[in-house]
Amino acid sequence: MSTKGTHIPDRLKITFAGITPAPSQDKGQDLFPTGNWRAIRPVYRDKMPPCNNACGTNEKIQGYLDLVKRGKYLDAYALIKEDMPFPSVTGRVCYHPCEQACNRGQYDQAISIRAVERFLGDLGLALARDVVKAGPPNGKKVAVVGSGPAGHSAAYQLARLGYQVTILEKSPKAGGLNRGGIPDWVLPQDVLDREIERLLELGVTIKTNVEVGKDVTWDDLKKNYDACVLAVGLIEANSARAEGESKEGVHFGLPFLRDIGMGTSKVKLGARVAVIGGGNTAIDCAREALRQGAIEVTMITVESNRQEMPAVPEDLHDMLEEGVELLHGRAMTAVLGNGRVEALELYPAHFSGAINASPIIINREVPPERFVVDNVIVAVGQRASLGWLPDEFKTERGTIKIDQFGRLGDTNFFAAGDVVQLGSGQPLMVVNAVGDGKRVAFNLDKVLRAEPLRPRTAPIDVIVDLKRMNMTYFPPFPRVQQAMLPPASRRRTQEEVIQSFTEEQAVEEASRCFSCGTCNACDNCYLVCPEPCIVRGDRSNGLYKILVNYCKGCRVCIEECPTGCLEGVPELDFDTGVVRMDTAFAISPGLHGRQGEELRRLAERPAKNI
Amino acid sequence: MNYTELTVWTRGIIMDKEGRDIVNSVSASARLEGKFAQAMENYVDNPDRTNAPTRKYCRVSDSVIENALTYENEHPNIVVLVEETMVKGWDYLLGMPPGGTLVINTHYTPEYIIRFVPGPERLAQLVCVDAAKLADHKWLYYRLGELGLDRLSTEGAAERSKAIAPDIAAPLIAAVVKTTGIVKRETIEPMIANKHAFQMAFDELHIMPLNPVAA
Repeated sequence: MSTKGTHIPDRLKITFAGITPAPSQDKGQDLFPTGNWRAIRPVYRDKMPPCNNACGTNEKIQGYLDLVKRGKYLDAYALIKEDMPFPSVTGRVCYHPCEQACNRGQYDQAISIRAVERFLGDLGLALARDVVKAGPPNGKKVAVVGSGPAGHSAAYQLARLGYQVTILEKSPKAGGLNRGGIPDWVLPQDVLDREIERLLELGVTIKTNVEVGKDVTWDDLKKNYDACVLAVGLIEANSARAEGESKEGVHFGLPFLRDIGMGTSKVKLGARVAVIGGGNTAIDCAREALRQGAIEVTMITVESNRQEMPAVPEDLHDMLEEGVELLHGRAMTAVLGNGRVEALELYPAHFSGAINASPIIINREVPPERFVVDNVIVAVGQRASLGWLPDEFKTERGTIKIDQFGRLGDTNFFAAGDVVQLGSGQPLMVVNAVGDGKRVAFNLDKVLRAEPLRPRTAPIDVIVDLKRMNMTYFPPFPRVQQAMLPPASRRRTQEEVIQSFTEEQAVEEASRCFSCGTCNACDNCYLVCPEPCIVRGDRSNGLYKILVNYCKGCRVCIEECPTGCLEGVPELDFDTGVVRMDTAFAISPGLHGRQGEELRRLAERPAKNI
Repeated sequence: MNYTELTVWTRGIIMDKEGRDIVNSVSASARLEGKFAQAMENYVDNPDRTNAPTRKYCRVSDSVIENALTYENEHPNIVVLVEETMVKGWDYLLGMPPGGTLVINTHYTPEYIIRFVPGPERLAQLVCVDAAKLADHKWLYYRLGELGLDRLSTEGAAERSKAIAPDIAAPLIAAVVKTTGIVKRETIEPMIANKHAFQMAFDELHIMPLNPVAA
């Protein structure tokens, strides 16, 4: 561009033989801060990816997938351990609300997040030492009642904060629902044992065979500890309210699984087994029944079809593959038999409301159906056992009464996990309990340090609209499937059904991540900017900076940002960026202005001088 | 003698015609009223670049304007910014004598905008008019930021360029006429294509009085 007619400030003037040269590359940048052409300003604004938002403990899923993609497995494992004490467990058992929320699900297939988590969890377990360290001791003692997911998570976070944590566990082995509610072919016991060892390495003490209300009282907890987290879970099985449930051969879902998990089961199943209930526990019971020797397993549900069942579709599919039959729209009204179950009395039934917890309407106008079985497993939900709890902290739902911070009144007692989440509308799952334990641990820490508690805020700007991203950068790519044992062979063994990812598979799967709304340092903005506006601090991360003095607001970077992290914000919303341009475009007396002054003086001059 | 200078700051290509319409219509109506007037465009500023700042000039006088060879207004009494973000970029009030008027096309209020105005003590009034809304512009000015993608311009709009002030120029002309009285409304209104927006702007101006100068 010619500088003829340009008013060049003195500090930039480099005269050469009486001619002002064209601005050099570096000086030219000072001379023409073309940022003044801009009406919108590109801004890096990370949004909440839907997976992180859906996760019960808000794992930074996008973050660790991105690290796996780059081969930084240890960093990814450390990131996951921020929120999740046992990724190898949830990598096997989680009902993955993240995958349901995954934006890739609207495009081709959701990312197999759980499989990548399991890959990282197993990697972490193989390390000689864990990456997580206990915090500097603060001299305070906290008791955690229960070693299930919520208790484990709370103890883990408290240990990281420097508390001296003691876990009180009723059973002979620690693990709670992780051990007692989840069959071995989903979560092998040695994986859980390793995770519990990791917890012990943080300095947590676990006292087994200690039951609150029997071995330890409420007052003992109050006296001996600075604070206490109650994560006692739901340990009593609900009854189906049918006649004759006390007969021999009738089992209840959670105790049935728990006894097998703890190794104390004396159950011998007959050839024909019925499972009452349509939830995830019922599915586990049905599949476990096959492994305990049953030949024909039938699942009897009130729901009229499999879509209405409150179960994970994948598990349901795997169960049907193993040969379990479904019988819909029936309710069990009586267990028939002389002292021992021989048959069930079934009537057609349906739920009175839209949700599965609503009262059941049984149609007794038709003759009952007689269903011959050798054993029946009733898996219709669980409830808490809270006889030891002071009445003021009980709710009418049979759970613990807490405030929004998980605290019991003004006491230093907190509660977390299924025992507070039952009936709250939140699905009961391991990851929700883990998240609850984590939040309660942080709240407890605040209370003991006499800091104000802050309520949970709703996440800002969860990105769920694919139009906000640039989908041309993401070709459809099929999901990497986890290997599974064939149905015929797996129905008789306790071998793990779903197999791990290899390293290549994990990287391939993580590479499918869109990084929704979050900068993942793809360098695209850096490459497409037509001006030298975008500078990059470090090749390996997303520390980009926009030199607003030169950004003309052309929007190319915003449109080309694959993840939708870059946004155009109206320039006038910023107080900064006021640059009064002092160049050709300024209204200073340039060539024409100066000439004008000369011309005005022409008339005053004597004619001969013209 | 009454001599007034009007400078319009606008964006190259996308709003070039709007600026031109303002100076042309004001000078044409001044001549109809028997005054002397000039209207010029500035080509120093590279008006053929999208978003580049461009200026249009107009001078209105009761007597003959002797300066016919320069076109930059060195002492503008009235400054119009056709695009709002220009308030941040230049010293557009340079040379303005006290008692001037600044008209900005913006949906922000004068109370917000004044923080960006260089030397507001020179102003008698700051006028904000949401011209894009009043002219009900469907695609061009509402989403100015997206224009980087869309290189359509008023330059190619041959069928529209015959009409004077079919779009956002109409409310801006109304703002200038109402707040400064540079020309009479009766003379300028018949020229304006978008009479509705012109009329609306007369009622919906945000005027912030600042430092009036005694006549």
